[in-house]
Amino acid sequence: MMFWRYAGRRLVQTVVTLFLLLTIMFVMFRLIPGDPTTMLLGTGELPPEAQQQLRAAWGLDRPMWEQYLSYLANLARGDLGLSLYFRRPVMEIVLPMLGNTLILMAPILVIALAVGIWAGAYLGWHRGERVEQIGSLIALLPRALPIFWIAILLLMLFSYRLGWFPIGGMREQFFYPETWIQALPGYDLVMHLTLPVIAGAIYFISDPLMITRTAMLEVRGEDYMQFARAQGLSNRRLRQIARRNAFLPVLTYIAIMVGFALGGQVLLEYVFSWPGMGRLMVNSVAQRDYPVAQATFFLMAAVVIVLNFIVDLLYGWLDPRIVYD
Amino acid sequence: MSSNALETELTRRRLLQFLGALGITSVSGATLAGLEATIREARAQAAPGSVMPKLQAMSPNWPDMIEIWRQATRDYAELGLEVEVQQGTLDTWVAQVVGEHKLPHLVSMSWGGAPDRMDPDFFLNEILNSKRAVKGGLNYGHYMNPAYDEVANAQRVEVDEAKRRQLVMEAQAISAKDNPLMVLFHRDIIQAYNKAKFGGVTPIIGNGIGFPYAPLSYLGLEALTPRKVVKITSIYDIASLNPFLTPEVYNSSVLRQIYATFVTRDKDANIMPWSLESWTLVDPTTMDLTLRPGQTFHDGKPVTVEDVKFTFDYILKWKFPALARVVDSVKSAEITGDNTVRLKLNQPYAAFVPNVLGFAFIAPKHVWEQVPGNSGLASPADWPNDQPVGSGPWKYVEWRKGEYLNLAAHKEFFMPPKLDGLVLLPVPAIENQIGMMERGEADLFGWTMDVTQGKRLGQNPDIEIVQTPTHGMHEIRFNLAMAPMDNPALRLALQHATDRKKYLDIIFSGAGTLANNTMITPVLKQWSNPDVPNPEPSIDKARQVLKDAGFTWDGNGKLKLPS
Repeated sequence: MMFWRYAGRRLVQTVVTLFLLLTIMFVMFRLIPGDPTTMLLGTGELPPEAQQQLRAAWGLDRPMWEQYLSYLANLARGDLGLSLYFRRPVMEIVLPMLGNTLILMAPILVIALAVGIWAGAYLGWHRGERVEQIGSLIALLPRALPIFWIAILLLMLFSYRLGWFPIGGMREQFFYPETWIQALPGYDLVMHLTLPVIAGAIYFISDPLMITRTAMLEVRGEDYMQFARAQGLSNRRLRQIARRNAFLPVLTYIAIMVGFALGGQVLLEYVFSWPGMGRLMVNSVAQRDYPVAQATFFLMAAVVIVLNFIVDLLYGWLDPRIVYD
Repeated sequence: MSSNALETELTRRRLLQFLGALGITSVSGATLAGLEATIREARAQAAPGSVMPKLQAMSPNWPDMIEIWRQATRDYAELGLEVEVQQGTLDTWVAQVVGEHKLPHLVSMSWGGAPDRMDPDFFLNEILNSKRAVKGGLNYGHYMNPAYDEVANAQRVEVDEAKRRQLVMEAQAISAKDNPLMVLFHRDIIQAYNKAKFGGVTPIIGNGIGFPYAPLSYLGLEALTPRKVVKITSIYDIASLNPFLTPEVYNSSVLRQIYATFVTRDKDANIMPWSLESWTLVDPTTMDLTLRPGQTFHDGKPVTVEDVKFTFDYILKWKFPALARVVDSVKSAEITGDNTVRLKLNQPYAAFVPNVLGFAFIAPKHVWEQVPGNSGLASPADWPNDQPVGSGPWKYVEWRKGEYLNLAAHKEFFMPPKLDGLVLLPVPAIENQIGMMERGEADLFGWTMDVTQGKRLGQNPDIEIVQTPTHGMHEIRFNLAMAPMDNPALRLALQHATDRKKYLDIIFSGAGTLANNTMITPVLKQWSNPDVPNPEPSIDKARQVLKDAGFTWDGNGKLKLPS
């Protein structure tokens, strides 16, 4: 029963965190000076009088608490409001971009996690050996390089120089296949996806790798591993035990990583002109498009929080030594 | 993991979540704190006779602006004057400077070549008229001169072109004497197209070959290969297909490919008939419009004077902020014949034809009279207008947000496009746009690049680089409401200390037109006043001006305020 009390408490915490998050988002974006109508002033096409009229029409002239209350009320009805910039429902703006981001980030995450965890466990197990010394060094390298730099290098080499892949975007307009390979379904998308996925995978691989490696090192020295070794278990079996025990911190990290992945990678998307969440987030902040900005940031943070909640519950199942009190 | 360790882990994670959520806003916060400090610093005034306080400047964080300040601070240092520059993103800059009029001593900006800025009224009135020295107005330098206002206002209502030209010249002469700002230069637009695939490219002043501002630039395009669709890059995407919604220049320019305006500009920036065949000013506040016969909307229905009247009535009824200039100037529209409509204006408006008839468009009555209907929308500006129906040279096919806008030729247009279609590709990074040109993924570079990029791209035998002058301008504005910038001698000295030619050569490899001491480019010969050249670039002259005004220098060569 301890578990259910714990789960209940964590659930309440999660809900409160989400609510606070909503509020902070609401306040933070409005703390930046200017609103969407101000942004239009900069072009000189909107006189100050017309600005006032727009603010009134969009409810931006009402006191902040009033805007906040109506925001919450709408939210309770599942209505995220109209984008101030696009004048379309927020979800209509966010969902396609979220889809594009998932197409980009899902393969990156799968590759980075699969390769990272596997390689991390391998290196951790072979602590002190030459392969570990060299491997760790190589593994740290991409972490030290900014993602846009990796991306630009790949672009320069494979797009500009060799011409193997397109420069950017997600699809080519008026794509006419010329060979049977090009006629394969999804060929165009895959061609556009290859470089950004490689860049992302290279960049993202270090974290799970290093975390798994460290966790492996810790686990290796534990008493139960000594005991297992003394029992004469096979090397393969020992590694299995170690891997399972080393998985906890990695799991926590995955929860955070998935959240950030949903937010897209601004620089990656910028370099490859990928129409995704990252670009949407930056643009919506720059345009002071509060409803869209709030929705995108909230979505990203909410995924992190909810996944963490799930991971916390999973902890006990994965590691029976954890006691809930 | 013990429960204690678990707690620690949870706290740490919560902090991470929090920081992650605030990631972008905290960056903006830092910039803002910087801007605030800059203004506080600027307000700290020095007593007469003491060393001049550091001049504080604010600038958007664009490479060319940063480079301008790098040169300027070096030049001003020779006067014993220190300048400290704070950079911000464009949106913070606009919110602070334009929205709030919170600015330090100096502010730099560049103004693009939007079509309505071809008429002198925009620069003369929006930027320097004292009535625009209110929050949100572009006279954020707080230039207040009743004599100037009088002339600037007079040219706005003078419908006799010769007389108006006189007033425009006079307004420039007055502001040049007062030096409320430094106009540096008018940077050329540098664009490119694939000459192996397309011909008939016509550069247009202020528009070049690839901005959608002027519809003529796409109409002459001819395909040299079987593909009769041109792919044009841009850094922006549009926000909406609703022509009543946004005053944003790029968006409305694109929509005016679909929705034909009443008049437009030809390649030399002269006004030319478009949906109208002709227009006559009956008296200063009455104008007769004659519709070009035989036009059709994209759904096949004819364009009639009913649609013209409906459009004006509709705009006046809903008072769309995006069409504020129409709302401000037009009183009513009446049908006077099969092809004629009579407009009554609120007051005479010299720029009415280019800036109202060149911006307003004909909306089909049969579509918009049902909007918003019972949709529950507050205004037709909120209508998505997913299938826009206009009467312009291009008709809508498909828009995929962030990816492309696909338009097809409207062959029934009186000046039909030679191509079958055009595709606008939003590509936020200039380097990618150049790459796409190089690889043949795009045919026309629809933004502007710098000379070195142009030289590199021009090495490709298929690519032609086109350089076009524009009326857009780079400026440094003085905040006249803040000491010591209210001292005319100091402003004049800074003018002398600014070597515009050097800046243009260094930053843009000389690709541009040097400005006169007026915002109107010499390229627009009919409006620019040639008698107001910029003060000669000379540090000695600058020193002399300061000396004559009672400024002195201390032992270390630092400038001291007059006592």
